[in-house]
Amino acid sequence: MTGQILLLSGLVFFSILAILAKDLIRSAVSLAVASLFLGIIFFRMSAPYAGVFEISVVAGLITVLFILTIALTKAGGDVRESKLATLIFPLVFIVFVVIDVLVMKSLLHKIPALPDTAESGSFGDVLWKQRTSDLVGQLAVILAGVFSVLALFRKRDKDE
Amino acid sequence: MNSTWFVYLGFAAALLIVGLYALLTMKNVIKLFIGIEVIGKAVSLVLLSTGFAKNNILLAQSLVITFIVIEVSLVATALALIINITRRTKSLDVRKLTKLRG
Repeated sequence: MTGQILLLSGLVFFSILAILAKDLIRSAVSLAVASLFLGIIFFRMSAPYAGVFEISVVAGLITVLFILTIALTKAGGDVRESKLATLIFPLVFIVFVVIDVLVMKSLLHKIPALPDTAESGSFGDVLWKQRTSDLVGQLAVILAGVFSVLALFRKRDKDE
Repeated sequence: MNSTWFVYLGFAAALLIVGLYALLTMKNVIKLFIGIEVIGKAVSLVLLSTGFAKNNILLAQSLVITFIVIEVSLVATALALIINITRRTKSLDVRKLTKLRG
């Protein structure tokens, strides 16, 4: 559990870095490192498929998309974030962590445990047989994404 | 197992507050979107840790994979929107979006 807590702390640390870094490229890379930590956490929770997806798609593909967007929008120039927000953040975060720990401690034995149902079969059975209708929805979402990107980057008419 | 689950929930709540803080205080559109991504990480962590704690890891995994696929589609669309917005307003500042023109 200690290793897992260290990985979770790393995940939170790099997420904070992604939010507070002034350089956008640094933010994107910190987000990728946070995804990497999350992927390793998934692997250690014996969820290899989710870990592979997290590392390859979120840490890889999404980071590439982010860096591409940052490169394409460089003409937008720097946006000045208010210094107050960066200065107040540690205070807000520490207060929240204290409240978080207290609430979680008080809830620990009060919430009744969900029924513990053991699963049978393999991951493929669950994905393809139990969740068939969801996969159709997934395909629809992917197609919607593709068409929306095509629509957003279509060639404009001259008078527009 | 129950106490392990609460540790994951605690860390996920911390991630959620980091993302919310970015959404509430930042002005750069890309930073705002990074905040949304951080909240997404908190959601997938909660999904998988609940499956892990309740011996239901296979179903939780397939849910997380669905979530990741939808997230990619969302990111592609949102970043395309951000590029278009920047071309039009010549700035990444979210406050310049207040002047909507038909």
